[in-house]
Amino acid sequence: MSAHDHHAGALPPEPEKATLEGRNKILGFWLFLGAETVLFGTLFSAYLAFRNSVLDGPPPEELFQLPMTFIMTVALLVSSLTSVFAVQAMHRHKTGQMLGWMAVTIALGAVFLGLEIYEFNEYVHEGHRFTTSAFSSAFYSLVGFHGAHVAFGILWIGLLILQILKKGLTVVTAPKVYVSAIYWHFIDVVWVFIFTVVYLMGKV
Amino acid sequence: MTENHSASGTQTQRHRLEGPQKHIIVFILSLVLTIIAFAAVAAGNVNKLFVIFLLLGMAIVQAFAQLAFWMHMKDRGHFFPIIAILGGVLVVIMLVALALLWTWW
Repeated sequence: MSAHDHHAGALPPEPEKATLEGRNKILGFWLFLGAETVLFGTLFSAYLAFRNSVLDGPPPEELFQLPMTFIMTVALLVSSLTSVFAVQAMHRHKTGQMLGWMAVTIALGAVFLGLEIYEFNEYVHEGHRFTTSAFSSAFYSLVGFHGAHVAFGILWIGLLILQILKKGLTVVTAPKVYVSAIYWHFIDVVWVFIFTVVYLMGKV
Repeated sequence: MTENHSASGTQTQRHRLEGPQKHIIVFILSLVLTIIAFAAVAAGNVNKLFVIFLLLGMAIVQAFAQLAFWMHMKDRGHFFPIIAILGGVLVVIMLVALALLWTWW
């Protein structure tokens, strides 16, 4: 029962860290997340610099609806928890349970994305377009970039579910699940700062 | 701290699997911090600067808890992830400080 004994369905306890390739994948992904932190930082700094440059467009305190933002926040927070459950199911080698939690995660991500699209559509009708002001450009760049990350995450985890249905949970597929969960948590952490700095501080 | 769940067979008996309790605690903490933040803004008529620092505090605590537990950064073997994220955060602090100095002075 050593860690090297993973043939014929006997997966090691943490299959994502069983191979050097898997460990390197996780390390490389963390370096990528360091770069993503900087990327979102540039968008945050642009937003903070331009948040008062509204020209003729609606200012943030008129635009933002807190109940909507709160529902979006809870949806993403719960999806982050379900992706923890997916990784815990993976550590127990319960592939079906893991796929179930991954499906719940992308469903909640889709709820978040749907509400964000609805929200942006409302804003456009209120005269808050991408080119309205420096504030609107910075707002759509920051929040839209985060939304694009959610959309990519839904696509990624969705494709992973299909791949695992086909190939099963192995030392090759396990690091992919782990890394996608880390990505999803990162997206949730970025949203924590977006709802704080953009929505809540826009209303203070 | 962690319970030994060995339901999935003999190969997990020597390995301690962590239970969901800690993660559920982080979830409840995150939810409570989020509700406090939204409530502080919805209440209005409070000292503006106080609310801004309260919001930032709530966000940083929540982000720290999620990074440590949900993203496993508290586990051993996470030296380079910590360096990567801290390096990123350092650049972000400089960028944000620069943007604020540029527009406020």
